[in-house]
Amino acid sequence: MTTAQLVTPAAPSEASRNAQRTRKRIANALLNTKGLIGLTLVIVFTLMAILAPIFVPEALSTKIDVTARLSPPTAAHLLGTDQLGRDLLFRVLLGAHTSMIIAVVAVGLSIALGLPLGVLSGYFKGWVDLGLSRLVDTLLSFPAILLALAISAVLGPNLRNTVLAIGIAFAPYLARIVRGETLKVTSLPYIEAARSQGASDMRIIRKYVLPNIMAPVIVQATISIAFAILAEAGLSFLGLGTQPPTPSWGLMIQASRDYLDVAPWTALVPGLAVALAVLGLNMLGDVLRDVLDPTFNSDR
Amino acid sequence: MRYLLNRIALLALTLLLISIVTFILTNILPGNVATMIMGTRGNPVSIAALEQELGLNDPLVVQYGRWIGGMLQGDWGTSLRFKEPIGSLLGQKMAASGMIVVLSLIIAILSAIPLGVIAAVKQNRWPDTVSSGVALAGISLPDFFWGIVLILLFSRTLGWLPSSGFVSPADDFWLSIKHALLPAIALGLSLMAHLARMTRSAMLEVMSQDFIRVCRAKGLSEGSVILRHALQNAIAPVVTVAGLQLGYLFGSIIVVESLFNYTGMGWLTYQGLLNRDVPLIQATVFIIAAVFMLSNLIVDLIYTVLDPRISFD
Repeated sequence: MTTAQLVTPAAPSEASRNAQRTRKRIANALLNTKGLIGLTLVIVFTLMAILAPIFVPEALSTKIDVTARLSPPTAAHLLGTDQLGRDLLFRVLLGAHTSMIIAVVAVGLSIALGLPLGVLSGYFKGWVDLGLSRLVDTLLSFPAILLALAISAVLGPNLRNTVLAIGIAFAPYLARIVRGETLKVTSLPYIEAARSQGASDMRIIRKYVLPNIMAPVIVQATISIAFAILAEAGLSFLGLGTQPPTPSWGLMIQASRDYLDVAPWTALVPGLAVALAVLGLNMLGDVLRDVLDPTFNSDR
Repeated sequence: MRYLLNRIALLALTLLLISIVTFILTNILPGNVATMIMGTRGNPVSIAALEQELGLNDPLVVQYGRWIGGMLQGDWGTSLRFKEPIGSLLGQKMAASGMIVVLSLIIAILSAIPLGVIAAVKQNRWPDTVSSGVALAGISLPDFFWGIVLILLFSRTLGWLPSSGFVSPADDFWLSIKHALLPAIALGLSLMAHLARMTRSAMLEVMSQDFIRVCRAKGLSEGSVILRHALQNAIAPVVTVAGLQLGYLFGSIIVVESLFNYTGMGWLTYQGLLNRDVPLIQATVFIIAAVFMLSNLIVDLIYTVLDPRISFD
């Protein structure tokens, strides 16, 4: 998983000016080719995820039509049909809903778990840091997909547990980034100043630490959503994620395995959907990182 | 030296913690080993007797002690699915996975470096665009999708390579390479993409330095400037990062080996997870995590040797 680092946080007195500058830089960056393509893809897939369940009745994506089995793309079925004659366009649209919802909620969960762990570790240092860092390092020793697979196998494969598995597997990556940023922020003079004014730890964390570490959290979250889409597809592909008949891109690719010779589009359509969604999020993540962290070179 | 000792102490502690996490994780699996061994033959009395015999009624700490003690003596238990000692299974499967991991690393490095160099030399021209496009596709597409495309192309359409199975190099070396090639390519594509981007960036940085201008001023050919001087200076971090990804590749083998039915560690782990084979899950998950961590440590240490500016003391 990619790690991100943060620019030197702003002192509270300069905060509003810096925020304004950052907003301007983000707007400019999003208008370059890479930013524009990334943003467009993300908007398209987000709209697909939100609107698909409203405009595509689930019955259409699960409707079995044996007379139209493995039909190539035609006017009646724009992206072709699968081995049960189900329309691939409808399934890909509803698959976007499944994938995006799982990815966004799982990343939300990883933030909910990783943020407090990282802040506590970086802010209190000492024994708290030692204990929490060991826990995080231990979890980081498990490749994320292995941890997610093991958790999913333990809890039983279904939609909710897929979210839990991915969220828990990604949390240590976020915790590590947040800890590093918190360590940087807490060594700055304005934290010392707040402390000398008698501010409590909770107030310092809430008012000064959290706002100044949010930039890398946002960048990491964007990139994590891309990884979560890949992880969901991987888990479902192995039968340990979303279960049929819920449309999922990973499940669609898995089902296509036996029909590759006669109907390659059954794999290519969901595969391209995964690729474009991940591509968009990666491009957007790269652009955001370039703006929010000019010292970070994404290629190195 | 102090850094090395610290790292080794931390390594031992983290391995211990990994074993605890693995043990806890597998012990919350619904059902227990006794029910799985007895299967449909089991009745409550026979299951209870087997639980007693296997020590499943002992406190978790005692069970953990027994597991870790056995492991330290090389006794990993017996697989419920394969009815074989796990130790011998691990030996065979590690060798099989090692082969595709090493092969994918070689493929990734050999294809990424030329791609990155061409992209840097022809910066902002069509070869750069094509190379960046290939890199982005490699990063964005899941490895199992690449696997399917590779099977479709090289196995079903061209008939050059087998689409599934594993052959031991001891039986037939070339056939074993042929079986390992497609999984290795599928595994290595995303790494290749990362390395190509890194090579491009490292080459651009090196080529903007003064010594390259001096080389050109001396009248050296462009080929010599790029290959002998620029690439030589740009390659160290690329190779180091490639090594760092060794552990990551070991994490990705589960999906790829399952797709190609390549019977290595990933496939074994997947079989364990699917069949709730607790002893097998414990052993494979622990081994993969340990390899992942060890490879990171080794690369960290190599880094300090390769780049004397980095000191951890």
